[in-house]
Amino acid sequence: VEGLQHLMTGLAAAMSVQYLLYAFIGCVLGTLIGVLPGLGPAAGTAILIPLTFKLDATGAIIMLAAIYYGAMYGGTITSVLINVPGEAASVVTCLDGYQMARQGRAGAALGIAAIGSFVGGTFAALALAIVAPPLARFALSFGPPEFFALMFLGMCLVTGLAGQSLVAGLLMTILGLLLSLIGIDPVRGAPRFTFDVPELYDGLGFVPVVMGLFGVAEILLVIETPFRQVVDTKIKGLWPSRDEWKRSTGAIGRGTIIGFVLGLIPGVGAVIPTFMAYIVEKRLSKHPEKFGTGVIEGVASPETANNAYANASMVPLLVLGVPSSPTIAIIMGAFIINGLTPGPFLFKERPDLVWTVIASFFTGNVILLILNLPLVGLWARILRVPYQYLCTGTLLFCILGAYSLKGTVFDVGVMLVFGVIGYFCRKLGLPLAPAVLALILGPFMEKSLRTSLEMSAGDFTIFLTRPISATLLACAVLIIIVSTFKIAALKTLRTADTQ
Amino acid sequence: MKTRHNTGTQAIIVILTTLLALGAGAPGAAAADFPSKPLQLMVAFPAGGGTDVAARIVAAIAEKQLGQPIVVVNRGGAGGQVGWTDMSRARPDGYYLGFINLPALNTVILDPERKATFKADAFVPIINQVLDPGVVWVKADSPHKTFKDLLEAAKRAPNKLSAATTGILSDDHLAILMAEEAFPGAIFRIVHLDGGASQMTAILGGHIDVAFDNVGGIVRRVKSGEVRALVVMDTQRSRFLPDVPTTPELGFKTVISNSTRGIAVPKGTPAAEIKKLTEAFKKAMDDPDHVKKMEEQGLALKIMVGEEYAKYYRELHAKAAKYTEWARTRPHK
Repeated sequence: VEGLQHLMTGLAAAMSVQYLLYAFIGCVLGTLIGVLPGLGPAAGTAILIPLTFKLDATGAIIMLAAIYYGAMYGGTITSVLINVPGEAASVVTCLDGYQMARQGRAGAALGIAAIGSFVGGTFAALALAIVAPPLARFALSFGPPEFFALMFLGMCLVTGLAGQSLVAGLLMTILGLLLSLIGIDPVRGAPRFTFDVPELYDGLGFVPVVMGLFGVAEILLVIETPFRQVVDTKIKGLWPSRDEWKRSTGAIGRGTIIGFVLGLIPGVGAVIPTFMAYIVEKRLSKHPEKFGTGVIEGVASPETANNAYANASMVPLLVLGVPSSPTIAIIMGAFIINGLTPGPFLFKERPDLVWTVIASFFTGNVILLILNLPLVGLWARILRVPYQYLCTGTLLFCILGAYSLKGTVFDVGVMLVFGVIGYFCRKLGLPLAPAVLALILGPFMEKSLRTSLEMSAGDFTIFLTRPISATLLACAVLIIIVSTFKIAALKTLRTADTQ
Repeated sequence: MKTRHNTGTQAIIVILTTLLALGAGAPGAAAADFPSKPLQLMVAFPAGGGTDVAARIVAAIAEKQLGQPIVVVNRGGAGGQVGWTDMSRARPDGYYLGFINLPALNTVILDPERKATFKADAFVPIINQVLDPGVVWVKADSPHKTFKDLLEAAKRAPNKLSAATTGILSDDHLAILMAEEAFPGAIFRIVHLDGGASQMTAILGGHIDVAFDNVGGIVRRVKSGEVRALVVMDTQRSRFLPDVPTTPELGFKTVISNSTRGIAVPKGTPAAEIKKLTEAFKKAMDDPDHVKKMEEQGLALKIMVGEEYAKYYRELHAKAAKYTEWARTRPHK
């Protein structure tokens, strides 16, 4: 297959000392972020993005991607050891992982999670290599109307699937779009919403905004949670027993498929695949009643799904230029900072970069496996550092990072303001994902909308007379209708519950 | 005690006067050892673009002339407006230089919608480096074989044939207006894209019919046979596209369009510093190494120094004013 050939070339590049080093640094920092309670992949990539500025584009993206899946794995460690998920996707892992730890099988739980993550991540990356080229070739024929329709569909998916309420989702999408309008009009050149502040002429920086929404806001939330003492558990025997192996293989296989398929759909989020994988295992199990008491399938399956999802969710970004979650949006931000626009044209113009990045998912997964099995004890020790030191250090790092973007205090201010906004959004249950996606996709959507209308001399039917664009828009409408029903169904369920 | 005190005061006065005298002599003294610290060369477009590449080539050579490092600073955004706003506010001490791209800078100043905070005289042009002529090109399998074909098609069906620019009021946008003016009745459906890369994907994808662009960006694609250049909008044929006719050859003497890039300093920079910078950059641009590297990039040199460049800037400003006004009142937007 053509994709596999490219993948080999990419692998050769990704194995170079510098890229291996970047992937390694990314994995370590990512795991560290994942271990810190409250800080998940989105916060990790947002906080650490300034670190990548001095690297070349390929190196920067390799490092951010490594931070991403490193954080996905790091979250597992806290779930197992202290029953606190390091990030949302590890919530399910607490159920059986912590029970295993209490039975003295913490090592096996962390071991199977690392192995499952490795298998899931590797297979998903392989599937990505096969799926991506034909998809990208198809998308090459897209013109501005098709791209507009595609981004509209992506946004509807994220709006419809994120959060509990469609209204809240729409509200946040519109907020994100409005924020993306700040700056000089990309077509006519008139300043919009700039209030004569020269720093706003170039728009709100995406990076300080996400650093605020995810980094600073998360720190504020962590401060509120009480410090948890780590119980001194000796971690030994990382290698699962033969019986545990037998029970895990099927779970890992199913987790891979569930994670990969759901990762292809923008807006699903990392949590749903893990729950789905857990539920599937429970249904298929001969002894479902034992789930929750420390069965290894209950750890293996969601942890595998989690990493398969992480790699699969790169597909919509690399192939279509549509990020499917806030973390992926932040990685898209790294592309844009380096003057690259992810999507089918990047696939064609810079195959070297795209394939090296994809290949780095393999090297990264290997590094994670090598790194985590022996280092679990060290990570557990980091958990004993009191929050006040961790939070202060992280906040300091955020401020330095925001300042280093352009060397202006203005960006630090933007970050802090959005930190407070992010904090209140979380408290009010307003989903941040739609806002972040709208913020990063807004300028692209606006440009393709306006170019389409220039092409048609102002006639809106251009979106309906072109078959691909019409199909995508129909899907978008369908998604919104379905998600209204989904939310309505959830509400009736909840009222039935309480009665 | 009192006298003593007076002596003290007098001493202070003497010292102050001496300092003042030294201070008055300072500009001369400063010019003699100018530059005594690194210089900044602002590029109003992102790193890696055509302006940036050429700026880095000349900066690397000129810093040897000046004996101080030249730091290229990219301040991209809003079609150059962000960088030029920065430049208009910079301290005019000779240590801040910037690239000005014409006519992009002229139209940013002229278009009232841009609300630019500076006027044309905010910049003192010192030396021009590149002149990239305009070119009209189509996809290789396009039915439009010549520039005439194209204009006739645009006249037969006005506002149907879509033509891509590299931005509103860019040199390419003005070139479309010039072509329409020279061939009355021809009206293009103008689509403003954000640069050469977007033009390439839109035209190769078959979404837009024709691109108005600059020679530098398409030489490679013409040679590979993907696109066909119809005409070069210059008084002489391009060395990079020797087989493509010019607009005057086809009888369109008024359709002359190009993008030039040169170095300017903020208004108020002392004359002695300007002289020194001009000499250093002139030497750097004449350097065989510079000539060779620019040739490799497909960028045509057009060195204009001092008053010659300043005059070019003024005349272009007047010409751009006419087309900017026309673009704003054109019924087909």
